[in-house]
Amino acid sequence: MIHYRLAELAELTRHLGRTRQVWQRSGAKEWCQADASNPPPLEAGRSVQSAKGFFFAEQEHIFEFDGRYFRETLPKPAPFALIGVSSCDLVAIAYQDQFFASDPHYQARRQQALLVGLECTVPCEHGFCPTVDAGPAARPGTSDLVLHPVGNGWLLTVTSEQGRKSLQGLNLTTAPEAMKQQRQAQLADCERQFPDDQHIRDGVQALNAGTVNASTWQQMGVQCLSCSGCTSLCPTCSCYGVQDQSADQTITRRRFWDSCLYDGFQREASQHNPSDDAGARVYRFWYHKFSDDFRKDFGRYGCVGCGRCEATCPGVIGIHSVMKRISQHD
Amino acid sequence: MTSLTPMVAELVDYYDDGEAARHFQFRLLDQQQWPPPEPGQFFMLSVPGAGEIPLTFTQLPDQNQHWWALVRRMGSVTSALFRLEPGAILGARGPFGRGWPRPGSDQTPVLLIAGGCGLAPLVSQAERLLEMNLGPVALIYGARSPEARVLGRERDRWQHKLALFEVIEQSPGQTARRTPLDALPDVLAHWGHEPGATFMCGPEAMMTALSQRLIERGIPPSSIWLSLERRMHCATGTCGHCYLSHRYVCQSGPTFGWPELELLMQQPVTTQTPPLLSC
Repeated sequence: MIHYRLAELAELTRHLGRTRQVWQRSGAKEWCQADASNPPPLEAGRSVQSAKGFFFAEQEHIFEFDGRYFRETLPKPAPFALIGVSSCDLVAIAYQDQFFASDPHYQARRQQALLVGLECTVPCEHGFCPTVDAGPAARPGTSDLVLHPVGNGWLLTVTSEQGRKSLQGLNLTTAPEAMKQQRQAQLADCERQFPDDQHIRDGVQALNAGTVNASTWQQMGVQCLSCSGCTSLCPTCSCYGVQDQSADQTITRRRFWDSCLYDGFQREASQHNPSDDAGARVYRFWYHKFSDDFRKDFGRYGCVGCGRCEATCPGVIGIHSVMKRISQHD
Repeated sequence: MTSLTPMVAELVDYYDDGEAARHFQFRLLDQQQWPPPEPGQFFMLSVPGAGEIPLTFTQLPDQNQHWWALVRRMGSVTSALFRLEPGAILGARGPFGRGWPRPGSDQTPVLLIAGGCGLAPLVSQAERLLEMNLGPVALIYGARSPEARVLGRERDRWQHKLALFEVIEQSPGQTARRTPLDALPDVLAHWGHEPGATFMCGPEAMMTALSQRLIERGIPPSSIWLSLERRMHCATGTCGHCYLSHRYVCQSGPTFGWPELELLMQQPVTTQTPPLLSC
């Protein structure tokens, strides 16, 4: 692996901006298109939204129908770079890459993207990436380049062939050994600072052992407002619905993010609803994230430990609240 | 890549059959071809402007890519379909899912059990069985009322080829409700065979109860096959709507062997809806 010293992040932003659109987090919070000549400062930490929407669009058109023919409306994005994807979100993208491997709309966007990771040096609020093998160090095979803040500058690590090619023409100096050692020390220090995660380990075990009783799930079902905050912000949630719209002799089918926590998610036209119980839907969400059944198919759990569900849930049934509850009820 | 964009299809013909049910013939236009479907597989029909729904084949596509499907008018998409006339342009994708297994000669006699429109996915399997002529075939067909029965032409055609037992839940002069579950012991006694393979489709609670009843009689669980109905938006295993545990019915189903399905149906919270045993 090649490591470079990067004095100014703007050097990288300007260089990548010559051949691609560059998106960067503004501070730690929001994704915005970066002005390559004057990029915003970059801080580690959890963005409000993950990078999910860059590939699995919140809503998009599938096709247009003119009365005789269907025309597939695949996205044709210009090449783009995402600078500052946290390690947990990189793992989530790798997870969705597997899930949407045959989805032409997802892949049309994904194949145009260069992922520049950003490793955290302090735990974020509610985050628990080490518990689910998703951080704070960027996991192998999830990025093209990785940034790590060292002193006043950055350690830039090349993690893919695409990443190596993207740096061609940029005059960088190889990072000294001390920078790499400092990265390791900072990551180890960060990992030590994460709060105790025993409730998550116990909760996952209870979920898989099937020892959580129905009334516990149903109590949490009462707390679920079906607001879809968790499923929208979860970087691995992937459910969608489709709907036809008519305008000016053209019918368009669009797809949009859906949520397994909506009571009508599985309801059929006959009104038969296999998941009409709110507790069953809450169980479904957590089963999808932490079941060993899915782990066999995907090689890992469907949760990357970002903690967004805990931060957003108005009903207090995010990750920590749920795991504390189910680890105590058996 | 699996496209969510349909092929162009045409509504060729239709005829009514039972309450709010209609047979539709479709064909693919523009020399498009599908891989040959298996009995029990399904396709996605787009009614542009209304949406897309999964439908089973009652007659598999022929070499000219013409096929039939039975549709009950139930929601917005089927209602829009019922307003269309031959020549209407539609969209179709398929075939999808796992169909019924092809029975071997050691899996006879064969029992088919259908409730209401659940007979539709069994039609092409019944035709295949009769063509294979492996041994006796019986069909228990349950319906809410005489008027709710569907596939009259097919049942007439099968009259002398298989043992047909019709169970009407509510008919004039009949006081007790009667479902295929109630009728099972009498039917098997009258038929005089124990099934070597059972294929069924109908309300899920009815199928679950029937499977358990058959197993209590000593029928091997691995010889029982069921076809499920689920809401579907993609048929490619990505929209999430048809989940059943860690599987998607559009890809792992719609037909399941009982041992697999029994495992998939295990979950700590069960539905609060009263079990629908009727057809």
